[in-house]
Amino acid sequence: MKRTTAASCGMSSCHVCYKLASQSAHQCPRCGASMHQRKPGSLQRTLALLVTGCLLYIPANLLPIMITDQLGSSEPSTIIGGVVLLVQLGSIPVAGVIFIASVMVPISKFAAMYYLCWCAAKEAPSNALKMSKLYRITEFIGKWSMVDVFVVAILVALVSLGGVLVIRPGAAAMAFAGMVMVTMVAAESFDPRLLWDKMDDVNE
Amino acid sequence: MQGDLQGEEPAEFKLSSQHLACPSCDSLIDTSELVDGDTATCPVCRGFLTKFTSDGVSRVISYATSALILLVFSCAFPFLSFKASGLESVMTLPGTAIMLYTHGMTDLALLVGAFILFIPSLIMVLLLLFYIPLKLEIASPWLVFAGRSVFALQHWCMVDVFLIGVIVSLVKIVSMATIILGISFFAYVGFAICFTLALTNTDRLQCWLAVERVAGNQF
Ligand SMILES: [Zn+2]
Ligand SMILES: [Zn+2]
Repeated sequence: MKRTTAASCGMSSCHVCYKLASQSAHQCPRCGASMHQRKPGSLQRTLALLVTGCLLYIPANLLPIMITDQLGSSEPSTIIGGVVLLVQLGSIPVAGVIFIASVMVPISKFAAMYYLCWCAAKEAPSNALKMSKLYRITEFIGKWSMVDVFVVAILVALVSLGGVLVIRPGAAAMAFAGMVMVTMVAAESFDPRLLWDKMDDVNE
Repeated sequence: MQGDLQGEEPAEFKLSSQHLACPSCDSLIDTSELVDGDTATCPVCRGFLTKFTSDGVSRVISYATSALILLVFSCAFPFLSFKASGLESVMTLPGTAIMLYTHGMTDLALLVGAFILFIPSLIMVLLLLFYIPLKLEIASPWLVFAGRSVFALQHWCMVDVFLIGVIVSLVKIVSMATIILGISFFAYVGFAICFTLALTNTDRLQCWLAVERVAGNQF
C-alpha cells in the first residue's frame, strides 16, 4: 500500500486537534494538549482495563439489579432473570433489547477488544482495514450497554407507591455501570494506529 | 490500491500545512482541495476525517442554545406519572438521580445525574463559550480550554441511551398501571435531537483551524 505516515516523516499528530508537530514537541502548539506519537502504554492499559471490566461483569450478573417490594414481600431480580420474566410476559422485543444491550454487547465488546489487542501485538500481518472497522464498531456500541442501568433508575424513580409497590436499586446496577465505564475507557486507550504500523513492518 | 487518490510516493512526498494525519491509521492526507459541504474520509482506512461547512459555527450556536432552553423545560415539569390502585407517583428528570440517592446509592446517583443531565448541559455551555467567540472572531482567554473540555467530555453523554431506557421501562410496566407522559418527556426528546445535531456539527479539525485563525489575528 502506498502511503506516507506522519511517524515516517518524524511528525506526530495531536489527538485533540489533529495538529501536526515535530516528534520532539511535548505540547501541541495549537491547543496545548500533551503530544505522543502513539498513545503511551496503549496495549497494557487497554488489557488491564478489560480484565477489570470482565471482573466487574461477574457481580453485575450474579447480584440483583433491582428489588421489587410488593405488599410486604420483596423479590430481587438479576439481569438474566429480568429477561426471562419479560419473555414469559410476552414482551419479546423489550426482552431482546435488554438481552442485546446487557449481555451480547458487553460480551462481544470484550471479545473484540481482546482480539484487537492480540492482533496489534502479534508479529504476523493482519487485515488492518477490517480491524479498524471492528474497532470503530466497538467504540460506538460501548455506551449502549448502559440502557439497563437507566431502566433501573427510571423504575426506581417512577414506581414508589408507599407500602403497596416500591422498586429499589440492587448492587449489580453499580457493578454494571462500573463495567460499562471501564470498558469505554479501555476502548479509548486502544490506539488503532498500532494495527497499521504492523502492516508497514511486513510490507517493508 | 483503490481509493488511494491523495496518497503520494514517499520519494516525491512534500509535507505541507494542509496535511492531516489520519487519527486511526496515521496516513498523511492532503486536505487542500476540500470545498464547502465536502466530507473527507481516509482513503487508507476509510475512517471519517472532517466535514467542511462554511456555516457550521452558526449552526452549532443555534442548536446548543435550543438544547439548553429545552433542557430547562425538561427539568421543570413532570417527566412521567404512574397510576395504580388509586395511588399516583410522579417522576421528574432530576428525580431519576435523586431517588437512587435516597435509596443509598450515592455513587450511582452521581453517575446517572452526570450522564443524562450534568455533562450534556455542561457541554452545551462549553460549546457556546467556544463557538460564540469564534463567530465574533474574538480570541477570548478561555477559548482553548473550552474547546479541549468539549472534546474530552463528548464521549460521556448518554442522552440517547437514556431515551431508549425510558421506552424500555414504559413497556416493562405498562401492563401494571396507567402511564402518562409529561411535558418534560417531550422537552427531553427535543433536547436530545438538538444536542445530537449540535455535536454532529462540531467538527474537530474545522473548529481548531478556526481557533488558529482567530488567535492568529489577535496575538
Ligand atoms: Zn492540539
Ligand atoms: Zn486512516
